[in-house]
This record gives sequence, C-alpha cells and structure tokens, in this order.
Amino acid sequence: MTNLSSTTGRDANAAGSGGLRNNAVFKDLFVNPWTYVTGAVILALLNIALIASTGKGWGVTTAFAYWAGWIWNGVGGDAHNWAYFTEVAKAFNGEGFNFLTDPASIMNLGIIAGAFLSVLLASQARFKGLKSGKQAVAAILGGLLMGFGARLAFGCNIGALFTALPSLSGQGWVFIVFIFLGAAVGSRLLVKYFI
Amino acid sequence: MAEQTLDCLGEACPVPLVRTQKALAGLAVGDVLIVQIDHSCAMKNIPEWADKEGHNFEIDEVETGRWEIVIEKAH
Repeated sequence: MTNLSSTTGRDANAAGSGGLRNNAVFKDLFVNPWTYVTGAVILALLNIALIASTGKGWGVTTAFAYWAGWIWNGVGGDAHNWAYFTEVAKAFNGEGFNFLTDPASIMNLGIIAGAFLSVLLASQARFKGLKSGKQAVAAILGGLLMGFGARLAFGCNIGALFTALPSLSGQGWVFIVFIFLGAAVGSRLLVKYFI
Repeated sequence: MAEQTLDCLGEACPVPLVRTQKALAGLAVGDVLIVQIDHSCAMKNIPEWADKEGHNFEIDEVETGRWEIVIEKAH
C-alpha cells in the first residue's frame, strides 16, 4: 500500500511552494489533525480550567435555548415563564443574566471564531454552497431534531456526556448508551435514504 | 482501465466515504476512481479505508481546501 504522494498539487500556489506550509512543526500544529489522545488531554485541561473559573462545566446547546428566549423577548414575546426556564435552565431568569454574562454564549462564539481561525491557519478555508435541496432539508431537519433532542435530554453530547461523565453524573452513562443506539439507527437511515 | 469521477464537493462525513465505497464496488479491478472532496475529514477517512482495503491511492490538493483522492481498485 503506497500513499504515492500528497504534494502533487496541480496548482503550485494552492499546494504551497515553500514557507510555513511546508514547515514540519507548523504542519503538525495547524494543518494535520491532532491525535485523539492530544485532543482528549487538551479538552480535559480546558474543562478543568473552565470549571475552576466559572463554576460550571462545558455546555453548548443550553445557550441556544437562551438565545431563542432572548430573541423571543426581543420581538415582544415573554419567554420568562416558559417551563424550561422556570424549571430547568433557571439561570435565564437570574438577575443581570444576558448574552455577555453567560459564559456558554461567549464560548459558543469562541468555538465559531476558533474553528474559523483553525481552517485559516491550515489554508483550508473556502465558501461552500448547498449541494442540493435534499441536503438543505436534511440539515434543517437534523438541526431541529438535535436541538429538540438536546433539550429533552437536558443537554447535548457536550453537556450531557462530555461534562456529565467526569462529573460522575449518572446521566452521562444513560446518554452514552442511547447515543450509540441512535447512531446505529441514524447511520442505517442515512445510507438507505440519503446517499 | 476505466476512469470515473465522483463529485463529493459540499458533502460532509460520512457521505463521501459511503459514496466512495459504493462507487468503487461498481468498478472492475484496475479501474481508477477520482473522488473530489472539500471536507477535510474525508481526506482522512477515505484514504484510511482505501489503505485498509489494500487499494492504491494518491491525494491531490487541487486548490485551497479542495482535494482529489485517486483510488485504483486493487481487487
């Protein structure tokens, strides 16, 4: 098995004819994917730093529910009495709680900025159009199901799994069993109906 | 030896890999499949799969963030 070559780009400019892109250290840091172990250790250290500084573990999608609530309030609605905010994510009704004082909202912006920086450093940034109407429908449907599911499960695979497991929460173990079941069903549906 | 191009531009994992597996299954030994991708994960999992299956392959960076994986069906 030979990987014949990985630098036979037809467009010399695109492949990079020298400089940083061919520097081995730069490539390992910014171009090639990190190993799972490297990623895991960095995520663990960052989560420890996050719990130490904010008192809460990492979560992503609860902030989306806050955003929806703020938008709803912004257009004249009243989300303060929604059961989700009075019973589950009570921080929403806390004194002085807004986009800027919610660490998870700021971190979500950081994820987007960081992901963008990462593709820029790897020279892999490009605008991608939608391939088909089918892809658009699948993306919207998938997003709605994931968002709705994450609210029912009181968290997504970050809050209810990544943060729950090291916090010794039983929720994470229930979540991991069903994420495997869901993935097994989902991949069969994907291959059968989408590809 | 036939050559076939598979357009997977704009498609995210695992769609390019599954389409590659299906396309290669329909080719004869010695045929070449050119998979066009712009999703960096596919640049990892398609060559990994080809390597595991024993097919020769080559990765071509066509332009920034766009690649062609050339796979020769070995068996």
